Amino acid sequence: MSLRAPLRSAIAAAAVLVLASAFSGAAAPAFAAERPTRAQIAEGLTCQCGCGLTVANCNHPQCSFSVPVRAEIDSMIARGMTSAQIFAFYRHKYGEKVLSAPPAEGFNLLAWTMPFLAVLLGGTLIVIAANRWRLAAPAPSTGAPERDRELDSALKRKLDEEIREQL
Amino acid sequence: MPDLGKLSLAIAFVLAIYSIAANVYGARRRLPAFIVSARHALWAMCAMVTIAVVALLSGLLSSDFSLEYVASYSSSTLPTPYKFSSLWAGQQGSLLFWTWLLLIFSSIAAFQNRRKNPEITPYAMAVLSGVAVFFLAMLNFVTRPFDPIFPVPAQGQDLNPLLQNYWMAIHPPSLYTGYVSASVPFAFGAGALITGKLDDAWIRTTRRWAIFSWFFLTLGNMFGARWAYEVLGWGGYWAWDPVENAAFMPWLVMTAYLHSVMIQERKDMLKVWNLALIGLGFSLTIFGTFITRSGVISSVHSFTQTGIGPYFLSFLLVVVAGYTALIFYRARELRSPAEFESYLSREAAFLFNNLVLIGIAFAVFWGTIFPALSEAVRGVKITVGPPFFNSVGGPLALALIFLMGVGPLIAWRRTTAGNLLRSFGAPIVLGIITAAAALIGGIREWYVLAALSLAGFVFGTVVVEFQRGVNARRHMVSESPASALVNLVSKNNRRYGGYIIHLGVLVAFVGVVGSSFFKTEVKKNVHEGESFTIGPYQLHYLGISTVDTPHLLSATARVEVLRNGRQTAMMTPAKLVYKRQEQPATEVAIRSTPRADLYVVLAGFDENGATFDVFLTPLVWWLWAGGVLMVIGTFVAMLPNVRERTAIAAALSRAAAAESGAEPAAERG
Repeated sequence: MSLRAPLRSAIAAAAVLVLASAFSGAAAPAFAAERPTRAQIAEGLTCQCGCGLTVANCNHPQCSFSVPVRAEIDSMIARGMTSAQIFAFYRHKYGEKVLSAPPAEGFNLLAWTMPFLAVLLGGTLIVIAANRWRLAAPAPSTGAPERDRELDSALKRKLDEEIREQL
Repeated sequence: MPDLGKLSLAIAFVLAIYSIAANVYGARRRLPAFIVSARHALWAMCAMVTIAVVALLSGLLSSDFSLEYVASYSSSTLPTPYKFSSLWAGQQGSLLFWTWLLLIFSSIAAFQNRRKNPEITPYAMAVLSGVAVFFLAMLNFVTRPFDPIFPVPAQGQDLNPLLQNYWMAIHPPSLYTGYVSASVPFAFGAGALITGKLDDAWIRTTRRWAIFSWFFLTLGNMFGARWAYEVLGWGGYWAWDPVENAAFMPWLVMTAYLHSVMIQERKDMLKVWNLALIGLGFSLTIFGTFITRSGVISSVHSFTQTGIGPYFLSFLLVVVAGYTALIFYRARELRSPAEFESYLSREAAFLFNNLVLIGIAFAVFWGTIFPALSEAVRGVKITVGPPFFNSVGGPLALALIFLMGVGPLIAWRRTTAGNLLRSFGAPIVLGIITAAAALIGGIREWYVLAALSLAGFVFGTVVVEFQRGVNARRHMVSESPASALVNLVSKNNRRYGGYIIHLGVLVAFVGVVGSSFFKTEVKKNVHEGESFTIGPYQLHYLGISTVDTPHLLSATARVEVLRNGRQTAMMTPAKLVYKRQEQPATEVAIRSTPRADLYVVLAGFDENGATFDVFLTPLVWWLWAGGVLMVIGTFVAMLPNVRERTAIAAALSRAAAAESGAEPAAERG
């Protein structure tokens, strides 16, 4: 058995995962480029009051961070700033920790790619193992079809009886 | 009482060490008397820790502020039910509670196996006693629940207001039960590795423990989500906080385990994988405790954060290293003649189901530890929050739901194209119809369309599976459809209980999709008598009333909810200020319907009016309904099954016959 089959399967699995990761990037609201809404931006920023929630979700009525930041976001959107510009502004002001997901660059790329690479690796291992198991398994028996059919019907009757007893 | 508690913990510690030694010595030397003695020591440990728990509870109930723990987590005005829940509100109490559960479960497992699995059981009990030694060492030497405080304060600091909620009274015990009961299958897995008894006896023996653990992890996660929904007041139920993640990971791993053991039971494959999974599940429960208490990763759950992280990390490393070494030691014997015929088979579906489940668990783990990694490597603090987990976990969750539909309908060994078409034709049509209906209903987000379409498909597969079973019964024994359904489920309870759980997961999935993508929020400051609208509802603010008790000050707003001009509800969101901690808490008002939840938060108020934060969240009701279905499914799956008991008895007698030449290692009494 050559390694072509597992390789093909691994490539197919990789393609699926690459698509999935592209899809996941598209789904990330924090990086939407155009026509930002306050909700999108606020979801992409972490409140610094210690609540551990995003600016969108912080529920402290007099929060010294999320309340003014929400107002600031509104004014930035009104001034025509893009989401990338708004996120860059907050990142510059508070550091990376203010972003609720790490920007996909440099060392942080590890955060985004590792889960998919791990699944890809696991999928490849499964494919390799399954192909080995397939090789090791005994081949399906090839008997005379007519005789099998007779045997099948006799077996089926017996099987039906046994199942009925079980039911 | 405190002295009695201290003494009983000290005795329990000594007994735990004795239990390890007696179990191992008795098993190695084949001396049943030592094994019996070790079992009695285990039960005595359980009794000792029960005394310690009663002693601490007694201190909490009688407001004995001479104990540091009671003074820190209770007060004389704290309502009695919450005095009970103070037991697990702080570090010492929660470790004591954990140890108590561990010893209760260990005692039950020891009783269940007093005449079974004579070779594995002593080692499994030694492992459980070893875990108990660690926790008892913590309680005796590091973080003592009965430490006194000087001078004795006149009043306690009270329980954290966020924990003064009925969901918090049941969420931690459920989660702890799930965590701790995973120790039993882990211990038997380790016992199998130590003794070399590597058939599926340890799996069959602990199958109900694994389901029990999974069940309580499910409940714990669900109760925690409900607590967050009702108490935190931000309209959501899951924030991907590190401690939430720590509870979610063992659930994912135990789910993978419950599926993969089916392959071992049926095909004698995946022995290493199953042993690894149960080891991973147990290790993650320790990891969860480490995260909660170490402060390595910041969390909103840091109620009990102290400096015991290094101890837990060391214990975790010992467990992982020891268990991995055992697996490597037995690697050759764990090789089994694997059979795999086709990727279009149930085995393949289970394998990929395991891959995706563990993939999600890894993604959650990676996202949880990445901030610590970033700080260690780059010296830069970062946050890994909901956008990351939703983006990475979303596609994997869709894949998992898809496999959940495929697995049950696909045959073992191999499936032909014709069979596939027959099995999946109707579900695929249902998936397409669901997507079309959603599209016509105005949904344009393709992610949501895909999710709903998948949900329709999987629902179709569950229906087809039930329909097939009912038809088969009706064909064979001429029953009515209703009695065929009841008999089908009751006589194959494990399988159909599992399908009910699948249905629960599916319903919860629909709830998550609906509530995540279509939530609307309105924040409004109104004067008394004014109204505002959200969705189809008009909210009319009627006024505020305050109640002052020795324990708390509450301000409750009255909000009349109208729909099409007719009153549909009177909602009463409140703001509470607990006097001891001077910390405000929110009591949200929720009007829940299958269509959408109206969620009203009283964000603030003064003499000019009140500010409300109102959310209209579609389908969130289905998340909780899914939880209820999962509970029902688990009960069905755990019902006693005569057929299964007969099979186990037969397997055990076969094993006994095979070893008839060997001298029994344990006593028969």
